[in-house]
Amino acid sequence: MNDHKARILIVDDEELIVQAMRKYFTGLGYAVDSAYELEEAQALLGHYKYDLVIADLRLTGIGGVEGLQIVADVHQKCSSTRVILLSAYGTPEIERESYQRGADAFLHKPKAMMEIAHVAVSLLDTR
Amino acid sequence: MEHSALDRILAPGGITSVYQPIYTVSDHAPVLYGYECLSRGPQGTNFESPGVLFDYVRLKRQEIVVDRACIAAALRNLPHLDGDVQVSINVHASTLGRDPSFTEFLANTCRDTQVPASRVTVEIVEHAPPWDNEAFQRALASLRELGASIALDDVGLGQSNFKMLLDASPEFLKLDRYFVDGCANDPKRRAVIGSIEELARRFGARVIAEGVENEEDLMTVRGIGVSLVQGFLFSKPLSAIELTVH
Repeated sequence: MNDHKARILIVDDEELIVQAMRKYFTGLGYAVDSAYELEEAQALLGHYKYDLVIADLRLTGIGGVEGLQIVADVHQKCSSTRVILLSAYGTPEIERESYQRGADAFLHKPKAMMEIAHVAVSLLDTR
Repeated sequence: MEHSALDRILAPGGITSVYQPIYTVSDHAPVLYGYECLSRGPQGTNFESPGVLFDYVRLKRQEIVVDRACIAAALRNLPHLDGDVQVSINVHASTLGRDPSFTEFLANTCRDTQVPASRVTVEIVEHAPPWDNEAFQRALASLRELGASIALDDVGLGQSNFKMLLDASPEFLKLDRYFVDGCANDPKRRAVIGSIEELARRFGARVIAEGVENEEDLMTVRGIGVSLVQGFLFSKPLSAIELTVH
């Protein structure tokens, strides 16, 4: 891993998930920010540089795919930032589109925190 | 989420106001000219950062409601205003273009908070189109009729262009810190400041230099003719209580 403390942005509309992930990744020694809405994430991405973004695909009610917009924004702002998308509703088409837009990983929920962390650490190590 | 971030921002106490003094500088001691009212979002959230707060607001297209909340909070909590100290409030150009009752709102807020509108300067921020230019012009005219002055923020950056200068015909041009910081050692920055000062003079306006952080830059902007300044050399933005205690 690089020497600097990696900075992670977690984006999910479920407060309990955000808090659990914040606690977990902070415990691993990362600097963690979080956002609950697409626009909040976009505002943060406009002001800070992140090494990794972990975002839920769906941030609003049924059918939302805001995570895809986050992938696009991340790659517009900083091509070295890694992105993990999480989804409980991911179809093969959405998963394929996520990778086409530049997601580095697409994980299906439910997923053990340790597995998410394993992917995250691997991506951060290969920056 | 039980409540959206916007709900939290607009909830009572969600917006905190701080005030940065603006000084008139000359060969004598600096004299307090006014305060720029600045807003911070709910403490402990991402929106404590004004940059994140207002980017979020613009992305949500909620400038009108948040501008009103910020102005109401700022004027309600003002530090004591001695003499003829002025008050600057920030307003999005899009708010002026889309909110037909903004001037009425400001008039009512000034009345309720006993702040004379003649002491208020409306600083136009984020001038990015699209907005209804006719409505924008009507808003400026009604604000002037109310007695308020107009300032253009971030002159020289982004959308703060010559067209906007003509459209708004401001009484004040706010010189962004980007040009001020390091101007003592940068002839190109001095050239930009000089051109803006000259432009202001021709428009019958005054320049306010933002981001003055050291004596060298202060002496440089003064030498160019700028006599209104704000920045950490004088004071960071402070709460009304801090300003009153001092």
